[in-house]
Amino acid sequence: MRKKGRLFVQFLVLLILIFFVSIIINNLLINLSRIGLGFNFNWLLKPASFSLAEYSFSYNPSNSYAWALFIGWINSLKVIFTSLILSTIVGIIIAFFRTSKNFFIKIISSGYITLIRQTPLLLQLMFWYFVGFLGLKSDSLFPSQNLFNISNQGISIGSVSISSEFAALLFGLSIFTSAYIAEVIRGGIFAVSQGQWEAFRSLGISERKGILRIIIPQALPAIIPGLTSQYLNLAKNSTLAIAVGYSDIYAINDTVINQTGRAIECFLILLISFLILNLLISNTMEIINKLVINSLNKK
Amino acid sequence: MYISKSRLILKIWKNLKTKLANNLFNILLSLIIILALVSISFSSIKWIIFDSNWKVVTSNLSLFAFGSYPASERWRPAVWIFSLLFLSVVTLLGPNWKWLRKNLIIGWISTLPLGLYLLYGGYGLSQVMSRNWGGLTLTIFLTICSSFFAFPLGIFLALCRQSSFSLIKKISSLYIDFMRAIPLIAVLFFGQLLIPLFLPSGLEIDRVWRAVLAFTLFVSAYIAEDLRGGLQAIAKTQIESANSLGLSNFQIKRFILIPQSIRIALPSLTNQAIGLFQNTSLMAILGLVELLGVGRSILANPEFIGQYMEVYIWLASVYWLFCTTFAIIGRHLELKMIRNRSNS
Repeated sequence: MRKKGRLFVQFLVLLILIFFVSIIINNLLINLSRIGLGFNFNWLLKPASFSLAEYSFSYNPSNSYAWALFIGWINSLKVIFTSLILSTIVGIIIAFFRTSKNFFIKIISSGYITLIRQTPLLLQLMFWYFVGFLGLKSDSLFPSQNLFNISNQGISIGSVSISSEFAALLFGLSIFTSAYIAEVIRGGIFAVSQGQWEAFRSLGISERKGILRIIIPQALPAIIPGLTSQYLNLAKNSTLAIAVGYSDIYAINDTVINQTGRAIECFLILLISFLILNLLISNTMEIINKLVINSLNKK
Repeated sequence: MYISKSRLILKIWKNLKTKLANNLFNILLSLIIILALVSISFSSIKWIIFDSNWKVVTSNLSLFAFGSYPASERWRPAVWIFSLLFLSVVTLLGPNWKWLRKNLIIGWISTLPLGLYLLYGGYGLSQVMSRNWGGLTLTIFLTICSSFFAFPLGIFLALCRQSSFSLIKKISSLYIDFMRAIPLIAVLFFGQLLIPLFLPSGLEIDRVWRAVLAFTLFVSAYIAEDLRGGLQAIAKTQIESANSLGLSNFQIKRFILIPQSIRIALPSLTNQAIGLFQNTSLMAILGLVELLGVGRSILANPEFIGQYMEVYIWLASVYWLFCTTFAIIGRHLELKMIRNRSNS
């Protein structure tokens, strides 16, 4: 009897949910037909007819919407991947500074962290773009223009050049994420028991070797899950690219919606692109996690 | 006397020496940092006092605070914000009376109806529609209102995820995982552009409430996840002993699970509140004129064109001040709760 009752309750919940969803979908269909748009993806193959400032593969306005969206996805991937690396490096440095014995370095790094964490990312991105890059002069900061060049056109090192939009987004995202990564790393190092520090010191192992060989390997299993969630946040935050005019997946979706009015379809495409991105990041981190744990167990 | 003084100086010197400079490298490093700090602070003070033009901020202060709220009625949002500040001060400094502690929660909950009454008007006040709200008022309204709805929804979702009904458990974890996988701007976009498509024709929700709805849906998933951590930290024996005392399922949730999980999750809940306050700035890209939106519209004004630095530094300090205050209040509550637990 009790089991039957439980089944009945679940059935009721399911029924209410289905009822609710069907009302919503019904409304959607009515509204879409009123506007004169159906629900289909045929428009994806039509020419996009807007130009993009940034693309990794060949692109011109006569290419299809689908190709434009793909270019946007690649652009997102590009900025996520580069700022993932940059933010990890900066984060490690800041975490190292925070555990430093030097009074000033400690103060500077904790000041950095509160300043970055207690102001909105969007504001920081706008600051980097409008003040940091567009505020520069059109000619190079450095007289020797060929090798290294920073101007309001972006940064170029040798033959590699990046636009100011990409650079602002890269800087903003990396600096924002680095403050969080520094906290994750510091938390992981604190999670290693104090006894371990005392033990290697009393054994006469040097500080550098002890941290590298004893503390960090033990801190890593606590650090990696935290890092994964910060990387996922970084990927989600990269959609703020639209504020600095970088054509990432969200920005291109926005343009396409403005042109075609296909809000529902574009929203679905955005969701799917993000689910793929998330899976990509979390699976890679899972593999790294396993490798780390395996290599620790071997020793 | 003389000797003790010199000893004291020696002691301070020694202290400084160990703190600042363990060896030559550290002395050099400290010197370089001091030099850099002095030169940076010197040039930034010089910029703040001489080179910058703060007219862009000072002449627009009321715009930053109230947006395009009618000038004659601006005392209403001002009263609301001051009542919030007053409550924060009472929470922070207020004595540890049981009476106060109980009524403080009622006070915080009643800030929302009070805010709605003051902002919308009606019943003796002239009406102001929500499209005229803006600036800091709108930022605070979005934060308070969204957390007001997201908190109970988050508790509900967290409990559903722990439910013994497998269907309810699946649905709520699907919702939580889905919401946490997509970017906030997509949810807000959904709120602004897609919600009207899902409503029956004739029914309309205005932009501010659609933003509140989107924030609520998003933040509740994060709150649920934070509370889950708290729920999992509660020992099973507590539930067993509550069961053996004859408490009903509802009573166990009400008196044992929810209070303890909130206490455990408090640090991350504070971070969620701070994150929500910062993330309301995303509405600036989606067409609401909140604090950052006011900044953007002022920068688009030909009179103030190009004064990005002044506006952004001003906005950053306002956001920083509020977020730091939130963080301090959260830390204070945490300490208070720990003290209360050890007393009882």
